[in-house]
Amino acid sequence: MVALVITLALFFDFTNGFHDTANAMATPIATGAIKPKTAVALAAVLNLVGAFLSTEVAKTVSGGIIREGSDGIQITPDIIFAGLMGAILWNMITWLKGLPSSSSHALFGGLIGAAIAGIGIHSINFESLMQKVILPAIFAPIIAGAVAYLCTKLAYALTSRHDPETGSKLTQKRGGFRNGQVFTSSLVALAHGTNDAQKTMGIITLVLIAAGTQAPGSGPQFWVIASCALAIAIGTYSGGWRIIRTMGSGLTDVKPAQGFAAESSTASAILASSHLGFALSTTQVASGSVIGSGMGRRGTTVRWGMAGKIAIGWLFTLPAAGLVGALTAMLVQTGVAGVVIAAVAGTGAVLYMFLHSKKSHVGHHNAVGVQEAGAAVRFRKKKALAVSRTYNKPKDEL
Amino acid sequence: MKWLELVQVAGATLVSAVTVVVLYSLGVRLTATAGDVSERKPAWLRPLAYACFALCGLAVLFGLYLIIPYFSK
Repeated sequence: MVALVITLALFFDFTNGFHDTANAMATPIATGAIKPKTAVALAAVLNLVGAFLSTEVAKTVSGGIIREGSDGIQITPDIIFAGLMGAILWNMITWLKGLPSSSSHALFGGLIGAAIAGIGIHSINFESLMQKVILPAIFAPIIAGAVAYLCTKLAYALTSRHDPETGSKLTQKRGGFRNGQVFTSSLVALAHGTNDAQKTMGIITLVLIAAGTQAPGSGPQFWVIASCALAIAIGTYSGGWRIIRTMGSGLTDVKPAQGFAAESSTASAILASSHLGFALSTTQVASGSVIGSGMGRRGTTVRWGMAGKIAIGWLFTLPAAGLVGALTAMLVQTGVAGVVIAAVAGTGAVLYMFLHSKKSHVGHHNAVGVQEAGAAVRFRKKKALAVSRTYNKPKDEL
Repeated sequence: MKWLELVQVAGATLVSAVTVVVLYSLGVRLTATAGDVSERKPAWLRPLAYACFALCGLAVLFGLYLIIPYFSK
């Protein structure tokens, strides 16, 4: 059972990686700063590095949400298995829909649902849940969005150039931001490693504690850190092109300066909260930043319809993953047969969704229409601008 | 209480993101000015632009240095 759970946890880490590539790499791909394939490779390497940097969040996950240890409830690997099942299925569904939902909330939702169904409502440490998951979930995107808004304003104000004598506009020459994006998006990928890879480490550590092979309250072991880092890196490299499309062009058309501002804010917010052990959703922070930077530049329209869709996806993530987790927990408690049924059904569902996704393939070649996006950024004349606008506008929504 | 930590996160985010963006924007602006075709541009513009980029990089590295537990212990 422990081995099964660890395998499942690593698979979750993998889905997390390809679900969240978009957070770091959607904007630079959209502005044409990096080629799509280079971008995901870079993100994969940095995720690997980031996973080794800090383990604060892993400690939050393994030692906060569910009361484990001698004074609390004895949590079993079965419960964690059920929780992971909920998280993975929800991750696959949102990926299929191209929604940038939170892998973290899927994980917490699944675990909480499984624990409530399997043990009872008293097994949840609601205070810790509120402080370490719910509050950051609400505030982190707002903080990141506000900072991104401010940074976009600043970036444009600082680089707007007018002729001192005539007062007419000079060529703005903001091309430098495109190179800068390579660095800021790398930082986001690094930050993602410090926050999201930790969650799986936390889960595996929780399993090891639950199985009695590790002392309660201790941090993750080295092999756990290494395998999680590797799983998330491989997942990132496989790339979630569907979500990249949503993030890169669905919310707002991103220009390099905006992308730079958005990524700086995302990276700062995630790194700061990783440092304090907040298990926040990198996805929500990144979406918040993109929207914030969209509002910060005049003439950019934020597609609120799309933003609303994403927000609904967020609201559903915790309960939906929780429901799947709870159902799986009930199934698992019926005995070995239940575990087998749950495992087979879960694998079947994942396979079905994977095959279904093949029908409408979204790959690096058609993720955001890099050529058009590049043209939109490189404009010098009004005419070119108009042309690129007509290119970009009728993006089919999902 | 976690409110204090939340404020800390907000503050740290604001300070670091603004620092990076301001420095980089200054760099972009100065490079642009240095590249202008005009006779009366001072020679120190381009080095100053590079200094801005360098400072921005340093700020990022300093931020990472603060975060990575390996250094702070």
